[in-house]
Amino acid sequence: MGIYLDNAATSYPKPETVYAAVDRFMRDVGSSSGRGAYRKALLADKIVFATREALGRLFGVRDVSRIVFTANATESLNLALKGLLAPGDHVVTSSMEHNAVWRPLKRLEHERGIEVTAVPCSMDGSLNPQDVADALRPNTRLVALTHASNVTGTILPIGEVGEAARRHGVLLLLDAAQTAGSCPIDVEALGIDLLAFTGHKGLFGPTGTGGLYIREGIDLLPLKEGGTGGESILEHQPNHLPDRYEAGTLNVCGIAGLSSGVEFILNEGVDRIREKEKELTGYFLQALEGIHGIEVYGPKDPEKQVGVVSLNISGVMPQDVAHVLDEAYEIMVRSGLHCAPMAHRTIGTIDRGTVRFGLGYFNTIEEIDAAVQALAEIARKALS
Amino acid sequence: MTYIAPCIADPDKIRLFAEMSTDIGEVMPYLNAVMKNATYNKNGPNLTFMKEFRLVTLYPRKITMAKALNTTDAWQVLSWIKDMINDVHERRDSITPDHELRSRPTALQIYGWLPKTNCKDCGELTCLAFAVKLLLGQKSIEQCSPLFSPEHAERREAMLEIVAAIGYEVPEKLGSQD
Repeated sequence: MGIYLDNAATSYPKPETVYAAVDRFMRDVGSSSGRGAYRKALLADKIVFATREALGRLFGVRDVSRIVFTANATESLNLALKGLLAPGDHVVTSSMEHNAVWRPLKRLEHERGIEVTAVPCSMDGSLNPQDVADALRPNTRLVALTHASNVTGTILPIGEVGEAARRHGVLLLLDAAQTAGSCPIDVEALGIDLLAFTGHKGLFGPTGTGGLYIREGIDLLPLKEGGTGGESILEHQPNHLPDRYEAGTLNVCGIAGLSSGVEFILNEGVDRIREKEKELTGYFLQALEGIHGIEVYGPKDPEKQVGVVSLNISGVMPQDVAHVLDEAYEIMVRSGLHCAPMAHRTIGTIDRGTVRFGLGYFNTIEEIDAAVQALAEIARKALS
Repeated sequence: MTYIAPCIADPDKIRLFAEMSTDIGEVMPYLNAVMKNATYNKNGPNLTFMKEFRLVTLYPRKITMAKALNTTDAWQVLSWIKDMINDVHERRDSITPDHELRSRPTALQIYGWLPKTNCKDCGELTCLAFAVKLLLGQKSIEQCSPLFSPEHAERREAMLEIVAAIGYEVPEKLGSQD
């Protein structure tokens, strides 16, 4: 069976309704959306629309045609950055970003001559919103920020940054890979112009689902061209959303599952999910304090972080800790740089990475206890 | 949604049929009372209106829509219609049903109230063409710039009333302008 503590990568298990929705779709519907006019094709289309509506309720988006489906947050971020930025544009980001933000920016820096400023975060991953405001220049087009670090869990002050960006007429792109579904996000309240999210983490959907919210008035260059079902007579990609950014057959099977995942969240309530994750994180952090030889990174405060805890055991490489946890204790965690080398430079672990625990809504206190006990044993052996 | 096809006149857009889960025949006179831009035919019965550029007709058990942008657009409008019908049904005790056919002004009638300068400021060749597009919801009244010059103050008042009566939005700042 094992104890799954890698929810920051992909949430597991999923709500029962998600499995059922995928199975039902594959068996009983099975067709593509927005293509045929027979009843089953329209049913597929209806499922896709219902998912857009559910996501709209979750993120406070009224016009749900502004939510376009992608394969994951990485594709969403690529669409936002490559679709928006032009030569001479300046982008402000943080030193805690994932490669899904950093690598597209580096490519654009090289190919389009954009300028990038990465505002340094402190050792625990936290960001001073004033530093972002101070980094804005007349040619700043975009602030691109992660909502919460996938290495330390640190939640960045999006509301304050959004306010500063809006005051300066700069757009805000939020990478909500670690927060969509597990932290409240309202695009209006937080001043978010572009919201990139993935379906397979906090939203409880299958892998291969994700999306981007694009505020009205922002036109992005599409990442890809192709069939859209409608407006086939046009030689170019249609201007109307969502078709403009959804060339090619959608992952309707995955979206059917995502729909049930989001409905599950709406029924439970994001606040309740956040409370549960805070409780588990707080419990875990407190238990770790008592273990000799363990260094925990990040804010070490459940109020300031999501259910992500990174740590190292002195004298043992993180990949060895992860291996022993899996082999001897059947505890699944991730080790290494977690696709975010910048974040490891910030917290001082670039030379070896960390062991990362990703706690989720379905984890229990008993599972945390088991992890703490295992870590204590590994640490004790390392010291002796 | 039960049927979907490209528009005959405009193949970039789609037309479609949708089925109602409940018969809305009883609610239709209430909808007619509430929706100022609808044309109600009690003998059908049916209720036809423009939702921005889309042409929608409600029947007791069916909806037809033309000129929707894509299926997402169509679903959004269907969702809006569903909410509106449910809302009107919920408030029906406080609404006086209107069983009468309400006719919309004709393009010629609207033309009669325009300044008739054929100035082309609005992008149309003639004021009559503008009147037709205004009625279709493809132009808005503030695009008629001569109407907002002081000499046409009286026409402006009348036009703004007509535009509001057929259900198009009149920006407040325009309505209250001298």
